[in-house]
Amino acid sequence: MGDLFSNLGLGFSVVFQFVQWTPAFLGGTSIPIPVNILLCLIGALVGTLVGVLPGIGTIATVAMLLPITFGLPPVGALIMLAGIYYGAQYGGSTTSILVNIPGEAGSVVTALDGFQMAKQGRAGPALAIAAIGSFFAGCVATVLIAILGAPLTKLALAFGPAEYFSLMVLGLIFAVVLAKGSVLKAIAMIVLGLLLSMVGSDIETGASRMAFNIPELADGLGFATLAMGLFGFAEIIRNLDAGGESDRELVQQKVSGLMPTGKDIKDSTPAILRGTVLGSILGILPGGGAVIASFAAYTLEKKISRTPEKFGRGAIQGVAAPESANNAAAQTSFIPLLTLGIPPNAVMALMVGAMTIHGIVPGPQVMQKQPELVWGMIASMWVGNLMLLIINLPLVGIWVRLLRVPYRLMFPSIVIFCSIGIYSVNNAPADVIIAGAFGLVGYWLIKHDFEPAPLLLGMVLGPLMEENLRRALLISRGDWSVFLTRPLSAVLMAIAAALLVLTILPTLRKKRDEVFVESEN
Amino acid sequence: MNATPGQAPVKSIMPKWVRNPQDFIGGIAMMAIAVFALWASSDLQGMRGFSFGAGTAPRMFAILLLGLGAAITAVGVLTEGEHLAKYHWRGPLFVTLAILSFSQTIRPMGMIFAAMTSFLIAACGSPETRWTEAVIVGACLTAFCALLFPYALGLPLQLLPTFMIR
Repeated sequence: MGDLFSNLGLGFSVVFQFVQWTPAFLGGTSIPIPVNILLCLIGALVGTLVGVLPGIGTIATVAMLLPITFGLPPVGALIMLAGIYYGAQYGGSTTSILVNIPGEAGSVVTALDGFQMAKQGRAGPALAIAAIGSFFAGCVATVLIAILGAPLTKLALAFGPAEYFSLMVLGLIFAVVLAKGSVLKAIAMIVLGLLLSMVGSDIETGASRMAFNIPELADGLGFATLAMGLFGFAEIIRNLDAGGESDRELVQQKVSGLMPTGKDIKDSTPAILRGTVLGSILGILPGGGAVIASFAAYTLEKKISRTPEKFGRGAIQGVAAPESANNAAAQTSFIPLLTLGIPPNAVMALMVGAMTIHGIVPGPQVMQKQPELVWGMIASMWVGNLMLLIINLPLVGIWVRLLRVPYRLMFPSIVIFCSIGIYSVNNAPADVIIAGAFGLVGYWLIKHDFEPAPLLLGMVLGPLMEENLRRALLISRGDWSVFLTRPLSAVLMAIAAALLVLTILPTLRKKRDEVFVESEN
Repeated sequence: MNATPGQAPVKSIMPKWVRNPQDFIGGIAMMAIAVFALWASSDLQGMRGFSFGAGTAPRMFAILLLGLGAAITAVGVLTEGEHLAKYHWRGPLFVTLAILSFSQTIRPMGMIFAAMTSFLIAACGSPETRWTEAVIVGACLTAFCALLFPYALGLPLQLLPTFMIR
């Protein structure tokens, strides 16, 4: 317990760090500036700003904004990225409530009841409950990360290469099980990601692999480049197909009366509590994250409600539960990343990419060697959530106005912004071309119903998996059974196999499809 | 999501026995990528005793992808599925052109020129573009980026064409 408080204390001291700023025009007077809080605030604001834009999901938002954090010191960059992440999520729920266009998959269910509430002129309370629920969930999740962080790190240190490999296999299988659509295609996407991650030079021998003597490929495909191509450019091209100005059913009434009534709060409190618990658990599981959590929370509320007929017609529980679950899961999904170094979903994969760019190799060592980084980020999440609550509600008017920006102006802007961002990573024009090529690949994948998110996960895990597989086999002197004879590894593999079998079984598949269909209608 | 309501069903170019063209083509493409990767990594060293060579892992993943591609293709033959989605050429073409133009002009011409031209090229990608509006927004965005990236973020970006700096 003492550890917990000292760790959180360290975290908050990092967040509330003041840097003396001595601008020349003040003639030597220095002003203390809370740099990290400012970065957190900017991140949350910019994240919301981009997340609100229709058709741009959380992954695309984080990918697009990655380059603006490159110039910062590592702690600041990660704090800002985390801010961008939950800002984007919050932006997504704002659009689903106000315009019925979920900015990201996780807020699809919020749109069901949120938009109905907005139509009844209760957009204010819906937004407020979403924010309050998110904040509460964020608080709980922050504490949970702090509690689970240290013990899980200890567990991780007991892991050998074989266990690590098995854990990654399990993570990837989870991603497949929870992905939408065909299981086969999701696995194919992961393997394609693994294959793409092999481009570049071999870690052990330094041999150039599949780089065709192209100097830009010698170091491998840039992670940020690939992500921006697959999510930034591909999204734009696809949205252009859909004919940008499609039905945007904007709630025209003024958003007035933000405060929820006493009854609203009484109705939504248990829903927020249940959503938080469910979201926290589902977030830790690899592959799931926010999307599945919000679906599950909504379904649960509807099941146990005494008035299930109200759902879909503006029930406040239908907003409170998925939003809390969404946010709780978004934050607890940091746990596997920070303790084990394994990203459980595509957004966390992007965080790994950002860490690598700053020279940090995520894993249990980070928690020990750079505690200020990890705990600073954890503490910043709580601060960021508080900021979202305080800042975003008054800014709802601005977000609504942003929604009216026509797509014809938005998409060229995104193209330029992404191009400059990609170029600035390495000052390499070739990176921009590679990203453009992956934009076309991503467009093709979407057209053929392949989901690009598992690809990103495979891309990040590829080098890690190869390294651990190599080491495990080297230690076992080429004996493949090592993955089944070491107890921990065997358990992980068994869970992975069981999950895969369960997914392929027809009955469960039907159930799984039902969940997704229900969420889409 | 596709903006093709009201159109006559696209006549399939696929032979009749392909009942799910989307998966069929997707699977074949995956197999093609796998074969390409196998070829590209063929010059790399394989296993030496029980230690991995540089080529082992790429080949492993490529073979896995080959198998998965074959399975997806089989699904494409055996199950009923959707027709190939309709592709539009305008959006992808102009966005790609804009990206290419940016990558080619950023070094010699600097960011301001590169950003402005590719904004206008990208704007051609939508039939709804109104030009006065596009030029104004493009100029504002270019100005914003010219302030944001080099000054606010401190990234080394050259703003003006090389010949003007010299």
